[in-house]
Amino acid sequence: MNTYVLLSVIDIVLLIAGLAIYLFIVGGQLAGVAEKLEECSDLVRQISKNAEPIVAGVSHINRTGGIVAGALPLLYGMAEGIVVGVTPRAEEPAERPPNVPAAGRRRSRLHEAVGYNPDATRKAPAHAAK
Amino acid sequence: MNETVLTLTSTQENLWKGAIIGGFVIVLAVAALLTILVVEVRTIDRRVVKVRDSLKAAAHNTADSVLIGQTAEGVEAVLAEGLEHHLFLGRVLGKVRS
Repeated sequence: MNTYVLLSVIDIVLLIAGLAIYLFIVGGQLAGVAEKLEECSDLVRQISKNAEPIVAGVSHINRTGGIVAGALPLLYGMAEGIVVGVTPRAEEPAERPPNVPAAGRRRSRLHEAVGYNPDATRKAPAHAAK
Repeated sequence: MNETVLTLTSTQENLWKGAIIGGFVIVLAVAALLTILVVEVRTIDRRVVKVRDSLKAAAHNTADSVLIGQTAEGVEAVLAEGLEHHLFLGRVLGKVRS
């Protein structure tokens, strides 16, 4: 019977000691997790504070940029009008002559093609004729 | 003094023996479950560290968001300057055409 009593006491002591040790370990770990989560909470608050001006600022930039983009075609249209108005133009002649080819009158090569070349025979040197 | 001696029947002895064995089994089961609990809490701890690092990076990334307001003011200045250009070009265009 004494053996049974001893074993029962050992059983109960093991249970209580095991629970105590494990709860101590888990308690320490959970305290560390809680500390880190508090740090995370501070970081989230900081991010939220940092993100507050983003929406207002970006919508402001979008609105102003839209106005600028809409006004630019008007601006360069006006600039083109100024360039056209300022560029000097060549004065037109009072009476327009008929159109002539830029290289003068065209020379036909049909005679040369059939072997008739009166200009060459006329301009041929004297010793060649001999 | 009379000494009292308790004697147990075999059934009682068997029940006590069973209770002791059951108690040990329960102690082992509790140890296993608490080991799992410790391992899970350690995993949570590691992942909370990762979350904290990500949040630190996000806080670092958004730290310069104050500059967005300044950029908006700069774009506003560009618009004002563009309006000045518009007025100038309007005046010059009128003179060139005339």
